[in-house]
Amino acid sequence: MDPAEVEFLSEKEIVKIIPNFSLDKIYLIGGDLGPFNPGLPVEVPVWLALNLKQRQKCRIVPPEWMDVEKLEEIRELERKEGTFAPVPSPYYMELTKLLLNHASDNIPKADEIRTLVKDIWDTRIAKLRLSADSFINQQEAHAKLDNLTLMEINTIRSFFLDSLNFMYKLRSNMQPASSKGKAMDY
Amino acid sequence: MSDALSDDGSHEDSQEDVMTPAELIVKLEEAWLNEKFSPELMENRSEVVECVMEQLTHMEANLQRVKKGDAKASIHRMEIDRIRFVLSSYLRSRLQKIEKFFPHVLEREKSRGEGEPSLLSPEEFAFAKEYLANTETYLKAVALKRMPPNLQTVDMIKAVPQPYLDSFVFLRVKERQENILVEPETDDQREFVWSCAVDLNVEVCVLVWMAPGDHEPAEITRP
Repeated sequence: MDPAEVEFLSEKEIVKIIPNFSLDKIYLIGGDLGPFNPGLPVEVPVWLALNLKQRQKCRIVPPEWMDVEKLEEIRELERKEGTFAPVPSPYYMELTKLLLNHASDNIPKADEIRTLVKDIWDTRIAKLRLSADSFINQQEAHAKLDNLTLMEINTIRSFFLDSLNFMYKLRSNMQPASSKGKAMDY
Repeated sequence: MSDALSDDGSHEDSQEDVMTPAELIVKLEEAWLNEKFSPELMENRSEVVECVMEQLTHMEANLQRVKKGDAKASIHRMEIDRIRFVLSSYLRSRLQKIEKFFPHVLEREKSRGEGEPSLLSPEEFAFAKEYLANTETYLKAVALKRMPPNLQTVDMIKAVPQPYLDSFVFLRVKERQENILVEPETDDQREFVWSCAVDLNVEVCVLVWMAPGDHEPAEITRP
């Protein structure tokens, strides 16, 4: 899967904005939005929030978790735990990137947040690599990966699954008469 | 595999008529992701595709009537574009799989029993048949007719790789299930069954297709 497609999925998340225009309720296929009144916070999907922001029609209210103190806590927990700690949002990385790139003026301490989220990401990816390594070393058949986000899986998916499939093939070929004699798509 | 990934497939069909457009879009996205990650072609969801198309045409017809520069219209257009992207990406990934596995897909379609749901939509079926015919004509034109007479046929089933069904996958558990066990990997590889780890607290698992047998299954430990 393309990372851009994961980002696309993250744009469906809901974020609060404060519009500076007024507009009646909109009846979208995916649900109703609005009504929009200047100064009154309203919940919209991220794709719309970013579009309005780019046209300078709103201020984005950062999600609750996008806060230096909360993220520091999460980072500490992530470093302390051996397994993957719960993340504030299933799209935390993508949302941080999108919101900080397009609306950094609405987010207090944007740079600190960027660094913190990057730290959390790095810690988690290091864990992911480590567990992939032990998964392979111990020839496991399944693993439980709580709290792993789509973007994180996506960084490892094709490489990891292809390697596993290939090793599986090598292992199974060591036994005689196990092949079905048909071409397979690896 | 398809069962494990698309357990939404059959039992919700009866509720189709009460589905809201928002739920429909969720269904489409689900079908899109499942299709993207599954190694084989999944059952067609043409009912979802048709409903989404209907919604899009309806919305576009409405937008035709709106005057230019309307703030709402641009938001509607953006939404339409997003849905259209998912829809075409979904259909395209199905076509890619059909192109990749066409003899096997057609074979499965042929051996399908009465009343079983078809893997392909009527359009996809036509596409697969045409693709097969074109490939055969092409092979004949460029090479086969110059071969000795006894070598002039190609068995497509043998020539085209089949989907790798023993593939490892990531899977997300949607609801808690009891009594589902993951068996340890074994060396007995003759008959494979799909076993999977299903637990509400398990977000994602890496899985392999495992052999049934008399070995002790490893139970998923529940936190």
